Amino acid sequence: MFTHYIDLAWRSLRQTPMVTFLMILAIAIGIGVTMTTLSVYHMMSMDPIPQKSNRLFAVQMQTMDEGETWQTEDNIPYQLTYPDAINLQALPGDFARAAMIRSGFSVHLNTPSSKPFIENARVTGRDFFSMFDLTFIHGGAWTEAQSRSAAPVVVIDEEMAQQLFGKTDVVGESLFLGERRQEIVGVTQKWRPTIKFYDLNNGSFGKAERLFVPFSHVKAYDVDTWGNTNAWKFEETRDFNDKMNSEMVWIQFWVQLDTPAQRQAYGDMLMAYMQAQQKLGRFNREELSYGLQDVNAWMNYNDVISEDNKILVGLSFMFLAVCVANILGLLLAKFMRRAADVGVRRALGASKRQVFYQHLVEVGLLGLLGGSLGVLFAQLGLLGVRQSYDYYESLANMDWVMLLSAPAIAISACILAGLYPAWLVCRTTPATHLKVQ
Amino acid sequence: MFELKPTINALMRSKLGAVLLILQLAITLAIVSNAVSIIQDRMTYLNKNTGYPEDDIFKFNSLNFDKQSDLLQQVELDEQKLRGITGVIDAVAISSVPLSGSGSSGGMQLKPEPQESKRSNMGYVTGDEHVLSTLGVSVSEGRDFTEADVVVIDDSDARPSVVIVSRALSDALFGAGKGLGETIYWGADPLSIIGIVETMANQWPKSSFGEKMAIIPMLRVGNFQKYLVRTAPGERAQVMRQIEELMLSGHRDRVISDITGLDQKKARYDAKDVLMMRMLITLIVVLVIVTALGIFGLSTFNISKRTKQIGTRRALGARKSAIVRYFVVENALICAMGLMLGTAAAVLLGQQLMQWYSVPALGYSFIAITAGLLLMMSLLSVLMPALRAANISPSIATRSV
Repeated sequence: MFTHYIDLAWRSLRQTPMVTFLMILAIAIGIGVTMTTLSVYHMMSMDPIPQKSNRLFAVQMQTMDEGETWQTEDNIPYQLTYPDAINLQALPGDFARAAMIRSGFSVHLNTPSSKPFIENARVTGRDFFSMFDLTFIHGGAWTEAQSRSAAPVVVIDEEMAQQLFGKTDVVGESLFLGERRQEIVGVTQKWRPTIKFYDLNNGSFGKAERLFVPFSHVKAYDVDTWGNTNAWKFEETRDFNDKMNSEMVWIQFWVQLDTPAQRQAYGDMLMAYMQAQQKLGRFNREELSYGLQDVNAWMNYNDVISEDNKILVGLSFMFLAVCVANILGLLLAKFMRRAADVGVRRALGASKRQVFYQHLVEVGLLGLLGGSLGVLFAQLGLLGVRQSYDYYESLANMDWVMLLSAPAIAISACILAGLYPAWLVCRTTPATHLKVQ
Repeated sequence: MFELKPTINALMRSKLGAVLLILQLAITLAIVSNAVSIIQDRMTYLNKNTGYPEDDIFKFNSLNFDKQSDLLQQVELDEQKLRGITGVIDAVAISSVPLSGSGSSGGMQLKPEPQESKRSNMGYVTGDEHVLSTLGVSVSEGRDFTEADVVVIDDSDARPSVVIVSRALSDALFGAGKGLGETIYWGADPLSIIGIVETMANQWPKSSFGEKMAIIPMLRVGNFQKYLVRTAPGERAQVMRQIEELMLSGHRDRVISDITGLDQKKARYDAKDVLMMRMLITLIVVLVIVTALGIFGLSTFNISKRTKQIGTRRALGARKSAIVRYFVVENALICAMGLMLGTAAAVLLGQQLMQWYSVPALGYSFIAITAGLLLMMSLLSVLMPALRAANISPSIATRSV
């Protein structure tokens, strides 16, 4: 029966090519516009690390004096001071933790043929790799001892290994960061999350780093951040040592807490730490507070999805509503004109329900056609987005979820528009139409 | 004379089509007027004068990795080399690049920290006495820096003592037109305002303090150094091409990167707004097309449904113009209701957007203009089917089916 309805629907669509064309165009444009904005929105809001996003937490502490404010909703700075990061790193407990900054170096092999280039680096603890699920192809993270002694070691990814050495198995080889020779101890698989969720201060959709350096190098080699440094009070900082001892915030800190109990314990530990620091004259405030937010909460807190995008998604759904109204009008016109045919079918024994289904199949087919064309339009739209803003390169794409939802949305929209006209047409009394003939 | 009553009566008998059109027009008006208002807001920002000849300026970075070299001497050598290139007007080592979206910001205030006093946020750059000339701006009051004003930050305790600010910053601290010769505090350091530049955007032209800029005559050298170069009009491209080679000659232990024009820097900083504008414009265009098609389609259908009535009216003596008028009046009635409803929807949507997002208040003129244009579009799309209806021959009425 279904195939028969499809056949009928196809004939009917071909009978009125102009109206069919207008309807398909309307739904296709509607879907094209909606899917363009929705795809970007979808990519921006996607959980970047679903397998453990609720076990990774960004740590914040209210370090500012009473009465000071910050641009965050709860007034707590995004980042930590260097002393706090070092102290948190040293807290007892069996859980992964990583202080980190974004920095960069001029990388070369110290041979005449290798031209130095600037490379962003993540300066962080050894737990970083296990916390964020990076996979090693060769070697592994630097050891605890290497980290403590600020040994000249680095981890790079396969792409960079290829670029420098033409192969990936480069453990034991050395590269130069500036004038410092560093040994490669591990090569990771290429890791490029669409959202740079672990560092939302420096552009949420920037590329993940390919070069990893132990956090102890910050102190040992004066490695400064290439990201934001914020101060909430005036302090004389003449050199990097002053900066490390200041109340300026510039370090990001993540912990992995696997159970609610662990999380509770960690929160208590932070509180105890801040109280201890209060005795040393820091944290001058009545009420101590900290932030411990998991990946999705952290992205929300940092407003990863831009305002513009939310407005556009809203407007494009309103636009889709206009398209649906448009199609409803056209369907009404088309179906009512066919009332006479329906009269004959009814007189020959088709039930109301069958007529109703037949027409819904027709609008469903319309939706499928329009939706498929709409996906093409959306691809064009996304191409336009990528071209006018290369920063959205990895975001302005349709994944399979979006590819499947496009026809799904199109078909539901069409069926929604077709319900009333189909209902009207199935109610026609056969007699009236037979008489006219 | 417009036969309003029969038109309305006929409308009342087939309400649904009319209701759909009314809804379409209302939503269209709400979306278009709000979108146009947002576009207009972004356009105003994008067309705002930054004060700089952006097409003649470019920047680049130099990252040294050779610890032995005397960095200060290197910077001075570089500057001299750059200023010597034919086609270059001036060049300077600068702490950050205006219009680029990154750099240093802070507060200038009337009393030294930690005392409480009037304070204004601003973006600042530091460099030697060539900063203004390289940026292509000049003071409208006071004087430019001289070599004696420039302080090199090293182990000594020397601090800068003078500053040149944009008019917006001096106005914010001292009131319109005042500020020259006054002292402001940058943290605890007093700086005397020796010059005021009329228009000079800072590193974040989009921000609330985008016009407040200070230039501090101070040189703090590091391994990572930014340079700014201004060339004679039309010479920029050829100068940019030779920069890397030239900078590496004589000092190879460094990386020259990000050789970018100031206009491109600003374009990158504004890319999001340009994208939003393009998306909204696309949305408006397709929306208007879809609505027009809807009106056209529905009128065509209505006319074919009423072929017999039209024939009858013609047979009974109605002129062609009367038939056209009938459809136009019908459409105008629908349109008027749609636009009335749409005005309410537009105001509501505007309020919602303003409540949740940082968009400007929706001006009523936007609604009025959009409504006028929609009315015209609607009448145009009904005209063709109506003219066709007028050509229906009266004899149709006499035939059965």
